Amino acid sequence: MPLANTSTAVPVVVDEGKCIADKGCTVCVDVCPLDVLRISELTGKAYMKFDECWYCMPCEADCPTGAVTVNIPYLLK
Amino acid sequence: MDEIKAGLSEIDCDVLVIGGGTAGPMAAYKAKMKNPDAKVVLLEKANVKRSGAISMGMDGLNNAVIPGHSTPEQYTKEITIANDGIVDQAAVLKYAQNCFEIIQELDKFGIRFQKDENGDYDVKKVHHMGTYVLPMPNGETVKKALYRQLRRARILISNRFMATRLITGKSGRIAGAVAVNTRSGEFLVVRAKTVIMSMGAAGRLGLPTSGYLFGTYENPANSGEGYAMAYHAGAKLANLECFQINPLIKDYNGPACAYVAGPFGGYTANAKGERFIECDYWSGQMMQEFYKELQSGNGPVFLRLNHLHKETAEHIEQILHTVERPSRGRFHEARGTHYAETMIEMHISEIGFCSGHSASGVFVDEFARTTVPGLYAAGDMASVPHNYMLGAFTNGAIAGEHAIDFAAEVDFEEFDRTDVAREQERVLAPTRREDGIPPNQIEYKVRRLVNDYLQPPKVTRKYELAQARFAEVREDLENAMVVRDSHELMRAMEVASILDCADMAACASLYRTESRWGLYHWRTDFPERNDADWKCHVLLSKQADGSMGCEKRAVQPYIVPISDDEKDAYYKQRITAEA
Amino acid sequence: MTFEPFEAFTDVEDLADKLHDADASVRRVAVMELADTADPAAVALIGSALKDESAEVRLQAAIALGEFDGRETAEMLVIGLVDADPRVARAAADSLAELKDPAAADPIFPLIGHADPRVRSGALRGVKELRRPEALAYALRALEDQDPQVRVEALGVIGYLKAEETLPALIACARDPMAEVRRTAVGALAFSRSNHAAEALIRALADADWSVRETGAEMLGKGRYARGAAPLLAAINDADWQVRVKIVRSLGQLKVVEAVPQIAAALGDEISNLRKEAAAALGEIAHASARPYLERYVDDGDPDVRKNVRWALSRIE
Ligand SMILES: Cc1cc2nc3c(=O)[nH]c(=O)nc-3n(C[C@H](O)[C@H](O)[C@H](O)COP(=O)(O)OP(=O)(O)OC[C@H]3O[C@@H](n4cnc5c(N)ncnc54)[C@H](O)[C@@H]3O)c2cc1C
Ligand code: SF4
Ligand code: SF4
Repeated sequence: MPLANTSTAVPVVVDEGKCIADKGCTVCVDVCPLDVLRISELTGKAYMKFDECWYCMPCEADCPTGAVTVNIPYLLK
Repeated sequence: MDEIKAGLSEIDCDVLVIGGGTAGPMAAYKAKMKNPDAKVVLLEKANVKRSGAISMGMDGLNNAVIPGHSTPEQYTKEITIANDGIVDQAAVLKYAQNCFEIIQELDKFGIRFQKDENGDYDVKKVHHMGTYVLPMPNGETVKKALYRQLRRARILISNRFMATRLITGKSGRIAGAVAVNTRSGEFLVVRAKTVIMSMGAAGRLGLPTSGYLFGTYENPANSGEGYAMAYHAGAKLANLECFQINPLIKDYNGPACAYVAGPFGGYTANAKGERFIECDYWSGQMMQEFYKELQSGNGPVFLRLNHLHKETAEHIEQILHTVERPSRGRFHEARGTHYAETMIEMHISEIGFCSGHSASGVFVDEFARTTVPGLYAAGDMASVPHNYMLGAFTNGAIAGEHAIDFAAEVDFEEFDRTDVAREQERVLAPTRREDGIPPNQIEYKVRRLVNDYLQPPKVTRKYELAQARFAEVREDLENAMVVRDSHELMRAMEVASILDCADMAACASLYRTESRWGLYHWRTDFPERNDADWKCHVLLSKQADGSMGCEKRAVQPYIVPISDDEKDAYYKQRITAEA
Repeated sequence: MTFEPFEAFTDVEDLADKLHDADASVRRVAVMELADTADPAAVALIGSALKDESAEVRLQAAIALGEFDGRETAEMLVIGLVDADPRVARAAADSLAELKDPAAADPIFPLIGHADPRVRSGALRGVKELRRPEALAYALRALEDQDPQVRVEALGVIGYLKAEETLPALIACARDPMAEVRRTAVGALAFSRSNHAAEALIRALADADWSVRETGAEMLGKGRYARGAAPLLAAINDADWQVRVKIVRSLGQLKVVEAVPQIAAALGDEISNLRKEAAAALGEIAHASARPYLERYVDDGDPDVRKNVRWALSRIE
């Protein structure tokens, strides 16, 4: 069966103005137990790549600059 | 990013610990402390810093056996009764005897337990039998404290490696494990003299009512590999039909924590705001009552705190919204719910395997040994019932200390290299296809079927239908699943474990032709408990012909005897006189 | 192909240069990396970052030191504690509270006399868990502090040390104008089984603040102060039901037979928590005179009440 791309709203938001991933920080990506965050090759900032979040919050708690906000995934909000 | 690279490395170690959540770090630490010269490797699918059920801490110990508040014997008795008698007491008693020492050690690590103004542990009484609750209102730094100890002890940590299969040798002894890097698809073969499994619950089995695949009660990284790997290595798994089903906050799908609220006067109530739970211990019996109330005209069920002082309710709210599942606060905020004002709607969780909350796990003895020589298991995936977080720590410690001694006496076990090649082929098969079905769709389907057919009450005909559907999905999984990057490869391997667990859940449940453990194993065709035929363990394992099969195993004679009227007292929902 | 499968143990010296990078964010990342080494040799370097011109870097250093222990760590953290930026000071105070090594207390002691009340509180919080007897003198002096939070933290230090000679000071604090100070003092003095302590707890039963009354009532039972019996009984109609719950529980723990009729009256209360506690207390006391009351409530609508009533009856049999 061929594959399609379906869009989905992801719960984690990164404030690019605050994120210092371009200075070598990878904290949120490191701590996420579901491994759903990445550093964008385009912007050099962190973002949520996969909609597979446990809304558990280590990414937000450990971010040194307060750039991450975890929202409740829409389906269970 | 995330592209799949070819690669295979091999390392050796004395003790390999798989799963760096709660039991795993303790096992690795204790093994290394006992023999600092030994090579101890801790392998983790995520990152030990924040992995596992206790990622953001826990709001309390549910089962702390602290001198002056309860005794190991009393605890053993209560667990035996709460688990309907199906308990090998040696392991429970050993936990109970060791756990206080572990609390003190965790305290020294910097893990924060509630203390009174005089610095003594502030143990809370929840019911009459024993007192076991020790709150941890500031416990969100648990994992950091553990990680710090591991680094100081110079334990070798392999993050982002997902174990996929154990390797056993020609004699049946453990030889190591195969793992895949979740960011590159590269393989790591770990030859080990002993292996300790601590991969947590099988928490991604049922589908949460929200339909969100990752909105599970358990940490969804715990997708059941521990159970599946043990099965494929020939280990026996105990009482898998004793499902885990937990009370929770509806939609949010995280714990409501009546345990935290209880000592402050909060409780689980029906729509009238009244208590309805008769049962004294978190058990299948309690969940049965919960379920019946939900179904009855008195439902739904709520967590009630709005009769308390505003300050008290807000204090509880503050605890619940900073530790364990801190996004709870955000969930309520969005709906404008305040604990001091309204009752909080509750529900029951999807099904899973977990001995931490119930009793379904890889069969182990009091030294955490499985039935495969050299292979240990601890925490939610090992069969010591109602073990929770402190059980994971304590039994992890027991496993680590035993395994390091075992490793000193044996050499590496020889194994067949083609086993590794075959495993590589199994893992990579979905990457070789151009199109097909992605893992998330297969996962949704399996878990939807689990809800439709396996969720109690258990009906024989529905279970048989489930088995037929699972077999069809297995065809798709083996022949049509497609994976495009290393992240998806991890999900693909997870879905294989989930399907194995679904099959195990069905097989074990059909075998035990009675009802036991309240809602956990409520079979409508066999509604009565039948002690004459079934007061025994059910052990599931891979049979010689490769099929899945079950056998009975006698419960070990009790070390702490329980008189008939004590048992009776429990079943009649009354409290014993001698507490 | 081979690759390194393990988390690296980076050499601290290799990270030192990054601490001097022109970009504050790079320095900040360096501090985090230093913390991850878990190498005690990193403490001094991280400490040096507490003097960084960027408050962000200093904040990171204060957080990072929470990963270490010992005297040297404390020496560094006290620099952070007096930082002009309140975020840095707060993070340093939190990290101080993580210390476990008693030797860490020495560098902290002098700050208990600092001009800034936040520093004084932070220093007291830092030495509490370390349980050093020398802390007493500092903490006793801090009980006179203008700032109520400092007084609360000082009570914390004193309470943990459980020294009989601190009792007069604790009793004095039980009359503090601030309720939170009184509540903490009442909790802290309950280590002492003396009559003076008992009298202070009894006085707390008449406090204007419900949480102080609640703590007093709880402590009288928990510490099994026999002379608390009559005052508890006299207070059984407290305006606040959460206080009444604690009074009833303590009367049970003290096995006050004379209290049976009044406790039994609470079996009919509309608040189920109180009914349950009353039944449990009557079970603790286990006096035959409670039987007729209890029998009336075997079928209470609330399962917890019912169970406790039955349990109590079984104790009387
Ligand atoms: C929401 C919630 C609330 C709870 N509340 C309490 C409480 O208040 N009190 C209490 O005592 N207990 C509580 N528990 C139970 C307690 O947290 C668990 O019993 C305990 O933490 C289990 O420890 P574990 O080591 O078995 O599993 P975990 O700590 O979950 O660790 C399992 C680890 O294995 C890793 N892993 C999984 N698969 C693989 C693989 N294939 N390869 C490598 N690694 C893998 C995972 O990433 C994870 O890090 C709660 C549990 C949950 C989920
Ligand atoms: S932790 Fe914060 S600063 Fe670091 S990469 Fe993530 S968002 Fe950026
Ligand atoms: S909330 Fe948890 S799962 Fe979601 S991105 Fe953050 S760390 Fe990952």
